[in-house]
This record gives sequence, structure tokens and C-alpha cells, in this order.
Amino acid sequence: MDKTTVQELIQPTIKARNVDVYYGETHALMGIDLDIAPKTVTALIGPSGCGKSTFLRCINRMNDTIPSCRMTGKITLDGEDIYSKNIDVVQLRAKVGMVFQKANPFPKSIYDNVAYGPRIHGLAADDKDLDEIVFSSLQRSGLWNEVKDRLDKSGTALSGGQQQRLCIARTIAVNPEVILMDEPCSALDPIATAIIEELIADLKERFTIVIVTHSMQQAARLSQKTAFFHLGKILEFGDTSEIFTNPRVEKTKDYITGRYG
Amino acid sequence: MGRKKAVLSVNGKIRDLHSLPGHYGWFTALTSFLPGLFIVLVWIIFGSNLVDNFTLAALGDEIRSLSNFDRALYMNDIHNLAIGDAISRPLTNSLNNATNFYLRTQNNLLWIFTLSAIGVSSLLAIFSFRKISPELRSRNLVERLIIIMLVISSSIAILITIGIVSSLIVETLRFLEHVSLSEFLLGLKWSPQTALRADQVGSSGSFGAIPLFTGTLLITFIALLVAVPVGLFSAIYMTEFASPNARIFFKPLLELLAGIPTVVYGFFAALVVAPVIRNSGEVIGLEIASESALAAGLVMGIMIIPLISSLSDDVISSVPQSLRDASYGLGATKTETIVNVILPSALPGIVSAFLLAASRAIGETMIVVMAAGMAANLTANPLEAVTTVTVQILALLTGDQEFDSAKTLSAFALGLALFTITLFLNFIALKLVRKYQEQYD
Ligand SMILES: Nc1ncnc2c1ncn2[C@@H]1O[C@H](COP(=O)(O)OP(=O)(O)OP(=O)(O)O)[C@@H](O)[C@H]1O
Ligand SMILES: [Mg+2]
Repeated sequence: MDKTTVQELIQPTIKARNVDVYYGETHALMGIDLDIAPKTVTALIGPSGCGKSTFLRCINRMNDTIPSCRMTGKITLDGEDIYSKNIDVVQLRAKVGMVFQKANPFPKSIYDNVAYGPRIHGLAADDKDLDEIVFSSLQRSGLWNEVKDRLDKSGTALSGGQQQRLCIARTIAVNPEVILMDEPCSALDPIATAIIEELIADLKERFTIVIVTHSMQQAARLSQKTAFFHLGKILEFGDTSEIFTNPRVEKTKDYITGRYG
Repeated sequence: MGRKKAVLSVNGKIRDLHSLPGHYGWFTALTSFLPGLFIVLVWIIFGSNLVDNFTLAALGDEIRSLSNFDRALYMNDIHNLAIGDAISRPLTNSLNNATNFYLRTQNNLLWIFTLSAIGVSSLLAIFSFRKISPELRSRNLVERLIIIMLVISSSIAILITIGIVSSLIVETLRFLEHVSLSEFLLGLKWSPQTALRADQVGSSGSFGAIPLFTGTLLITFIALLVAVPVGLFSAIYMTEFASPNARIFFKPLLELLAGIPTVVYGFFAALVVAPVIRNSGEVIGLEIASESALAAGLVMGIMIIPLISSLSDDVISSVPQSLRDASYGLGATKTETIVNVILPSALPGIVSAFLLAASRAIGETMIVVMAAGMAANLTANPLEAVTTVTVQILALLTGDQEFDSAKTLSAFALGLALFTITLFLNFIALKLVRKYQEQYD
């Protein structure tokens, strides 16, 4: 079997077709088509303001919370149209978790931060079950050893990198299928960044990950697929190794070699 | 002017100046204007005293040897004559002379003060104008002058507060000479009518403040019962659910409630709410006084709704958007987000809004006078007439009073007690607000 047939056999988890997004008058995304394969890391790169965050927020319908935002086109998750009438946004967001640019732990204890999702979705049968979920989520986000004796302390008292890992733990505690990450390391120092990158590489064994990043090295290191956004359009999409060694579009080449502008 | 010279002195090369040109301008203006202003103030405050003293000194010994009271009367006649008013004694030559002298002195002093104000100002203006040179650190001088003015203003506010509080304390101590502290704080009966003659009924009066404070608490409690849910829920609706258009429409409407004078609330309570309560009580066979704590409390609750809703609105909207995003991103519904994330984060601020509203309700007088009455009943029944601390203070001090009777003095004691309570509430509220502000930094 050659490469293309393998890819055709694997159903993409997320399929975007002809997506347009407007903020009032601003036309932020134009005709986006994108397939996101399961259990891979897909990186979205591109200059500031080109619509990466906007696209990411379409996938879990976070744009619904912005009154001026309007979307046309179609996005499916496992073949289901996530913008159809009979989709429950709450269910969708439980399946598609999100980690934000700035770590935003709740001003609650570390335990309650992680337990928040499982509690509202009723994922734990009893307290022991919940303890177990909190434990394994913190374990998987690599935070357990650092916080195991202060689970009742406030999550906002952690360092920036720890807070971001707490947010990742909080997201995987609801056992999503997809994790969206919007520049998760942009506020962190290189060491904290390295820890989170390692974590992401681990997480891809179980989750489909879409990550927005401004660091070319990070995209190259972490992702299998890369999409290059420019002025609301996807100029190039393909295997990360291809894009970084042999970009087809001149603009992509300029951007990843730092000559953009 | 100072500014121009400063610029000229460096041939327009502003960079060579130590401070900005504007600072030189302010420096000249402030140093010359402030002392002049000070002299004018001295004239306004002490001027008439000064004139009186000069006149007295010029008058013969016979006037100076009069008793204080008679001397004051004499001076009063001089004042009246000077402005052409009626006087209390036959117009004598000496009085006429004295009045003329008075007018002359007044005139002269006025001139002296005006001239010295202008003179000092212009002298200083010239002086500071000459001092202007590129090296002059006028920025620092202006800063220091401004700081001094600010310090003076804030000390005025503080001094006034201290003055009020200490006069409350002094008068309260005098009251406690008549009535013991334990009777005042623990007594169950309030009837401050001290009789004029010792053989009249109720000559002693009783000054137990408990019924007043329970009345205050009862009404405040009813008011909060109304205002807390309504105010809080409307704040939540405004911040979390209302579309921008609805917000633009509803918010001013709510705030309009805050602009209604309390007297209007008062007669609304007395003429509309109280009869409705009485009539509906009759329907179910309840005897309800036409003046009831319930009516006053309900209307007072309406009055403090805007206070609670706009303060809560502020704290709720200052909960960072990122926390909402985090909660929605985990699949929480709007209600779950509000209950689990927004309200807990905003809670200290919301509680302090409640406390501020409570101290406002405690201090409210007009509505209670009109709707709850003056009868100091010790009761927890909201359908009876009660009275509050503020209403009693009002009752104690309106009408003719001897100034040192226990009755009048008790007003100060009540005032001090009330002040302590509201101060305490405000203190807690401020503490909570501060804690809340630190949370997101
Ligand atoms: N809430 C909003 N209201 C109005 N316009 C918005 C809003 N959010 C984004 N936009 C506009 O949409 C366009 C795309 O924004 P987006 O945040 O998706 O860019 P981005 O690629 O994530 O940029 P960055 O790399 O700086 O994060 C921009 O022109 C921006 O001004
Ligand atoms: Mg972005």
C-alpha cells in the first residue's frame, strides 16, 4: 500500500469545508478547507491577525460567545456537523477541549480546578472515582509530583508553567477527543516550554491535538501536519517535514525562514 | 509669562531647561497667586472681628467696662446703624461717632488688605519671575507646592471627621451622666419624654435603645430580603445575558431608581404600599397596623436595589473573561459558569455591596418616618409599627429643646452608636473589596 491510500483510509477527525467567519464587518476567515487526522499534532502557523485563533475557536464553537461573530460553511467532527441544530454545544466542548494562551486556572484549589470538568459532566461515580480522575490527569500532565501535597492550595499560586500544565490537566480530565491549544507556551520560559512540549508529544498518543504557535521550531519539533494561514486563508497545508524543507508557496518559505514582512 | 521668559532665556532651546516650560509658568503663577489668596482668606475669616476690635479699642472706657453681654449689644447697634437698620437705643452722638469710626476702620482695613494682597502677589511674581533661569528646578518646586495643597485638602476632610466624631463622643459622655451605659445599651423601653416638672407622670423617661436597634435591624433585614435577590439577579442578567442593546436600555432605568428622592419613596410607602398591605391583611383576616415595618422595609428595599445591582454589576464584569472562557471551554453551561466560577470569584465584592447597601438602609430616615411610625415597639413582627434609630434622633431634635436635657443628649448617644455600626460595616466592606482586588493581579 502506498502512502496516499493509507491516508485515505484513515477518516479525519475534523473536516472543515469552505469556512467563512465574520466579526461584524471584518472578514476574518475565507473559504477554509482543512482535514485534521486523529492522534496527530496539527500546527497552525502564520502572521499575527491571520485568523488562527478564530479557526481554532470555530472547532469548539467558542466563537458563539462573541455576539458579533458569524460563521458560514461546515465543520464536522467524526462525520457529525458540529453547527447543526441538534448538536449540544456542551457535549461538543466536552469532546473538544481547549487550552488558552494565558494560563487561566480558576481561583479555586488545585483539586477543584481539575475536578471542575468531571463534576459538571458527572463523569465520576463517587468521590474515590473523582480522586482517581484528578490523580491520573495530574499524573499525565506531569504535575502530580510537584503538587501532590498541596492539592488544597489555590491554583493561582502556582508558577506560570505549572499553571499552564494545570490547565492541560483540567482539560484532559474530561477525557476529550481533541485538544485545541492556542499558543500554550507563549507566556513561558524555555524550560517550562520544553516540559510542555514533551507533554504534548506524549498526549498525542491518546488525543488529537491542534496547536497554534508562533515558534517555527516548536511547530517543526511537535507537529506532523502544518497549515500556513495568511490573511484569512490557508496558503499551504501538508506534512510538517514537507512544509519546512520544501515549501511550495513562496510566502510560506518567506515566513518560516523569517523573511516575512 | 514665566513660561515665555524661561523659553527665551535659553533662546527657545527647550531641551536646555531643567524642567518643561509649563512648569516655569505654573511656578510663577502659584508662587504669586497663593500668598495673595491666603491674605484674602484671612480677611474673609477674621476681617469683621478685626474691625470690631479696633472700634472697641477706640471707644471710651465706659463701653469697655460694660459686661460682655451689654458690650455685644452695643456693637450690634453699631453694626445695624452702619447698614442703616433699626437700633435698640436712642441715637446718641457717641454712638454716631462710634459708627462712623467703625465704617472708616472697615474701609481702611479693606484697602490695606486688598493692597497688601495685590502687593505681595506682584512682589512675589516679580521675585519668582526673576528667579527663572534654565537651572531653576521649577518642576520639583511645582510638584512640592501641589503636594502641599493636596495635603491641606485631605487634612481638612480628616479634621472635620475628627471634629464630628469627638463632639459626638463628648455629648455622649454627658448623656451617660444622666443615664447609665447599661441602661442605654440593654434597656428594653424607649420613651424619652422627660417631664418639665418633677411631679408629672413619666418624669424620668426611659432610654433603653434596644427597641430602636431591633426596629432598625428588622427594617434593614426586610429591605435586604427584597433588594439582595432582585439587585443581584438583575446584575447577573445585565452582565451575563442581556444583549448590549438591552443593557443600554435597562441600566439607566435601574439607575433612575437611585435618583428618586427618599421623600417620594416615603409617601409611596405610606400612601400606596401600606394600605395595600393592610387591605390584603384584612382579606386573610390579619390585623395589620397602617404603619408597619413591612411597608417601610419593602420600599427601602426598592430604594437600595440600584445600589446593589450597580455595585455587583461592576464586580461581576471585572471577573476576567479568561475565566469564563475556561469554564465554557470545559463544556460548562452558562448557569454552571455563573454559579461555579463567576459568583465565587465575585463573592467578596458582592458581599461588600450588600454591606454598603445595609449601612445605607440603616441610615435611612425618611421612609421610616412616613411608613413605619414613631412607636418604639420591641417586636420581631414585621406587621407592627416599629421605629428606628435615625427616626428617633430626628424626633428628639426637632422642636424646641433644652440643650442639656437627657432627651436631647440621647440623640448624640444614638448617633454615636449608629455611627459605630455603620463604620464597622463599611470597614468590613472595604476590607473585602481590597481582598477581592488583589485576587487577579
Ligand atoms: N472578538 C473579535 N471581534 C472583532 N474582531 C476580531 C475579534 N477577534 C479577532 N478579530 C479579528 O479577526 C482577525 C483574526 O484574528 P485572530 O485572533 O484569529 O488572529 P490570530 O491569527 O490568532 O492572531 P495572533 O497570532 O496575533 O493571535 C483579526 O483581524 C482580528 O482583528
Ligand atoms: Mg491568536
